Amino acid sequence: MCDKFYRNFADTNATEFSGFKHLSMKRFQIILLVLIAIAIGVIVSLVGDFSTYETFASAARHPDKEYRVIGVLDKDLPQMYDPQKDPNYFSFYVKDKAGNIRKVVYTGSRPTDIERSEQIVLTGHMQDSVFQCSQILMKCPSKYKNDQVAIGQMPGSNSHSGQ
Amino acid sequence: MDTHYIGEHLLPGRLGHLAVIIAFISSLLATISYVTAAVRQKRQLPDPDSWKHLGRIAFIIQVAAVFSIFGLLVWIISQHYFEYYYVWEHTSRDLAPKFLLASIWEGQEGSFLLWAIWHSVLGLVLIRFAKEWESPVMSVISFAQFCIASMLLGIYFWGYRVGSNPFILLRNAGVMPFEPGPDYLSMIRDGAGLNALLQNYWMVIHPPVLFLGFASTIVPFAYAVAGLWMKKNNEWVKPVLPWGVFSAMVLGTGIMLGGAWAYESLTFGGYWAWDPVENASLVPWLTLVAGIHTLLVYKHTGHSLRASFFFFIISFILVLYSTFLTRSGILGDSSVHAFTDLGMSGQLLVYLFAFLVPALILFALRYKEIPAPHTEEPLHTREFWMFIGSLLLFISAVFISFTTSIPVWNKIFHTNMAEPVDREFHYNRIQIFIAILIALGTAVVQYYKYRQNSWQFLRKKIAVPTVIAIAACILFGWLSDIHYNRYGLGFLIAIYLLFFVSIYAVVANLGYILIMLKGRLRKAGASVAHAGFALFLIGVVLSSAKKQVISIDRMGMMDVFDFSNKNENPRENVFLPFGVPVQMGDYEVTYVGDSTAPGDPKIYYAVQFADRQHPDKPLFTLYPDILKNTKGMQGYSANPHTEHFWNKDIFTYVNYASNIEPDQSDTARYYTHEMKTGDTVFLQNGYLVLKSLYRNPQNPNYHPEPQDIAVAAELDIFSGGKTYTASPIYYLRGHEQGAVDDTVQPLQLYLHFGGIDPAAQKIMLSVKQIPPKDHFIVLKAYVFPFINIVWLGVAVTILGFLISLVHRIRQQIEKAKIAQKTVYATKDVEV
Repeated sequence: MCDKFYRNFADTNATEFSGFKHLSMKRFQIILLVLIAIAIGVIVSLVGDFSTYETFASAARHPDKEYRVIGVLDKDLPQMYDPQKDPNYFSFYVKDKAGNIRKVVYTGSRPTDIERSEQIVLTGHMQDSVFQCSQILMKCPSKYKNDQVAIGQMPGSNSHSGQ
Repeated sequence: MDTHYIGEHLLPGRLGHLAVIIAFISSLLATISYVTAAVRQKRQLPDPDSWKHLGRIAFIIQVAAVFSIFGLLVWIISQHYFEYYYVWEHTSRDLAPKFLLASIWEGQEGSFLLWAIWHSVLGLVLIRFAKEWESPVMSVISFAQFCIASMLLGIYFWGYRVGSNPFILLRNAGVMPFEPGPDYLSMIRDGAGLNALLQNYWMVIHPPVLFLGFASTIVPFAYAVAGLWMKKNNEWVKPVLPWGVFSAMVLGTGIMLGGAWAYESLTFGGYWAWDPVENASLVPWLTLVAGIHTLLVYKHTGHSLRASFFFFIISFILVLYSTFLTRSGILGDSSVHAFTDLGMSGQLLVYLFAFLVPALILFALRYKEIPAPHTEEPLHTREFWMFIGSLLLFISAVFISFTTSIPVWNKIFHTNMAEPVDREFHYNRIQIFIAILIALGTAVVQYYKYRQNSWQFLRKKIAVPTVIAIAACILFGWLSDIHYNRYGLGFLIAIYLLFFVSIYAVVANLGYILIMLKGRLRKAGASVAHAGFALFLIGVVLSSAKKQVISIDRMGMMDVFDFSNKNENPRENVFLPFGVPVQMGDYEVTYVGDSTAPGDPKIYYAVQFADRQHPDKPLFTLYPDILKNTKGMQGYSANPHTEHFWNKDIFTYVNYASNIEPDQSDTARYYTHEMKTGDTVFLQNGYLVLKSLYRNPQNPNYHPEPQDIAVAAELDIFSGGKTYTASPIYYLRGHEQGAVDDTVQPLQLYLHFGGIDPAAQKIMLSVKQIPPKDHFIVLKAYVFPFINIVWLGVAVTILGFLISLVHRIRQQIEKAKIAQKTVYATKDVEV
C-alpha cells in the first residue's frame, strides 16, 4: 500500500498544485512565524539564565544572587573538614582572579581531589565576606600535558625481607 | 650516533606507522576513484565501473589497514609494552584484561580509531548492497575515512602537526623527566593506568555502541548528498529509510548506555545531567528522528522532502560539531567529562567545514529542484502533525544546542558568559513542554490518515483509548502522589501534565496496535517505539520528581548556615560511625565493615540496611567503594552501589571515610604484649586469649618457601557476646623475619605477630583497636522510585526501532524481488 502512494507522489511535480499555491502557503507560513517567534522568546529567556564569571568583590555587591567564581585553592591557609562534628561543612580559602582571598564554605563533604586542582569554579553567593558555595567544580592538571613519568625499580629487582 | 635502547619492541610500532600511512593514502585513493566513478555515472561517460572497482579495492585496503592498527594496539597493550606512550598513558600491569578494550578508547586516538572501524564496516555493507548508489555514497564515506586517518597521522606539515599517532614512543612523547639512557625502560615500572571511572563494564560496551551510532549518521548524510549531487532528488528516499532507522536506534542505545554508566558509576545521582557532552550526543539523535518522520511524510504524501534533506544533513554535521565540542577542550570549565585538547581543535574545525560547506552549497543550489507540492496539507492529516512533531524535535535540538554552545559564543563574540547556575532546571523548564507536546503527538497523530481530512475518523477510533487513558490518569495520578515543590506550582503542574500525557501515549499506542493493526506486530514498529518512549517519559517523571535523598543530616548543624535561603544546599551527607545504626528514611543503616587491605587501591564499605520497624533483621547490605585514583598521586573516586527492587533503587556512595587518609585519621596505635599460651589481653569491649601456637600454617596471604620456619598464633576473641578467631603468622626465612597480620573487621582489631622469645616461651603480639568514633564513613543515599520504568521504556523503544528496521528491510527485499521478476518477465517476452 505504501508502495502505491510512493509511486503516486514521488513524482509529484510542483506545477500540479500551483493553483492552490496562493491560498495554502499562508497557514504554513503563519505557523512557522509563530514558532520562530516563540523560539526567539524562549532563547531570550534562556540567555536570562546564563550566569557570568565574577570575582568575590563583584559577587559581594549582590549577595542575593548566585554567581560563579573562578579561583585557585590557597594551600597555605587552613582547610576545615571534620565529619565527626559536621559531615556537611567544609571550609577552605580561595584566591580569585583579582587576587582576593576569601573563606569559602561548602555544604557538603570535602572533595578528595581538591589538593590537586589547579583551578576551581565555585557556584554560590557572598554572605558577610564568606562565600557560601553550593557546587565545586575542579579542574585537575591535564593528563596530556603535565604528566611526569613515575620512575621506580622494576618489581622484584631489589626485593627485601617479608612479603 | 643513535643510542641503542635496551628492551624496546619497535616492530609493532613500525607496522602501526605503516598501517596508518596506508590507511591515509588508500582512503584518499578510494575517495578520488569513487568521486570519478560517480561523476562518470552521472554524466553517463564510459567506464564508471572500472573507477568504482578501483575505489572498492582502495577502500578494502583501507579497511585492512584500520583493522591492523586496532590489532597492533591490542597487541602492545596486552603485552604491556610501556615503551609506547599510549600503553603507558592508558594502562597498567594490574589492569584487568576485561578493561583492555576500555583502555583503547580512553585516549582520543583510540576513539577516532573506533570511529574509523565502524565506518569501515558500514562501508563494506554499502559496497555489498548499495548498487547504483555505491559510488556517490562511498565517495562521502571514503572522504570521512581520509579525514579520520589524518587524525592518526602525527606528521608535521609546515610546522603544524596533523593528527596524533597512537604508536608514538614514550621517550619521544616529551613526558620523560630526564634524557632517557639506553636502559631507561628498566626504570619504567608501570603505566599510568586507566582512569578509575572508566574501569567499569559499561565502559567496555558504551563507547563502541555510541560510536557506531555516531559513525552510522554518515550513511543518511551520504545518501542525502548523493541524491543532491546525482540529481536524484527522490530516489534516495527508498534506500535511506532503513539506514536512518538503524542510525537512530544505535545512537539512542549508545546514549542511554552512557546514561546507565553514569548511573552505575558516577556520583551525581542520576542517568542524565544535561552535561554538555551528553547534550552534544542527544542533539543529532533529535534531528535524526525528525528526519525519519519527514521522510515518512514524503514517502506517503510527497511533502517535506526539503526538510528531510535538511535534517539528515545537519544530523551528521551536528555529530561532527559534537566531536568538536567534546574533543577540542573548549568545554573545559563546564563539563565534568570534557576531554582535553590534543592540539587538534583546528583540524577538527577544518573537517567540520569540509563537510558542512559543500553539503550546504549543494542543498542551496538544488533547493528549487527538490519537489515540494505547493499545497498545504489539510489540518487534520497525519502528515501535517508529523511535520509539526519533527519541527518540535528540531526546536528542542536548537534550544539544547544554544546553551551547550556557550563556550563557542564566548569565543566568537568575546563574551564571558557562564553556564546557568541551575543547569538542570534551565533545560527542564523548556524541554518539559516540548516533551508534553511530543508525547501528545505520539498518542494522537497515528490515528489520523495520510492525505485525508480525517478528523471524524480520528474521533471515532481514538475514543476508547482516550477513555481508558483518562481512567488510568486518575488512578495513577492519585497513586503517584507527586508533590515536587522545589520550583513552584507551575512546574509541578507541568510535571503532572507530562505524566498524564505520557500515560495517554502508552495507552493510545497499545490501542493502535490492537485496534488499527489488529495486533500485527510486524508493522507496529512505530507504535512500539512511541509506547516505549512514553514509558521512558513516565519513568523520568517518577524517578526524578520522586527522587528522595534519605541521607539527610539533621544533627550537627552549625550556626553559620542561613536556613531561610532556599539556595542553600540541603545537608545530604550522613556521618556513620562504625557499628552504630543511623536512621535514614524508612531504614536503619549501619556501617558494618570494610575491605581495607594493604596494597589494594579499592576499599569496599559494607553498609547494612534494616527496616526501621525491625532493626534486628537486616534486609540487604550494599558495598559502595572508594578507589584510589591511578591517574594521580592523590585523589580518590567514589563508586556507588545500588540495591535494585522492582519498584525502586536504593543508591549509595561513600563521600569520605576515616581510612582513606590513614596518616591523618588513624590515631590508634599498636600495643605490644608478651604472651604465653593461655594468656589473656583485654580489649575495648572484651578480651582475647592465645589458645595455641602451631607450625606450617595455611593462609592465602602467606606464600611459604622451603626454608621457612613459620608459626601461627591461634587466638580466640570474645567481645559483645560473640566469639571470633584470628591467626596472625610469624616466620623466619633464612636470616630475615616476616609476618602476616590478621584483622577482625567487626571489632576493628589489628593483630601483628612480631616475634618469638624461645627461652621464655613467649611471643610478641601487637594489638591495635580503632575506637568506633574514629572509624567512620560519610555516606550519601538516594531512593529512585520506579527507575526501572526508565530502562524498560528505553528497551521497548529500541525494540520498536528494531521491528521497524526489519520491516523496512523486508519491504525492500520484496520490492527488489518483484523488480527482478519483472525484468525476467520482459526478457522472456523478448526471447
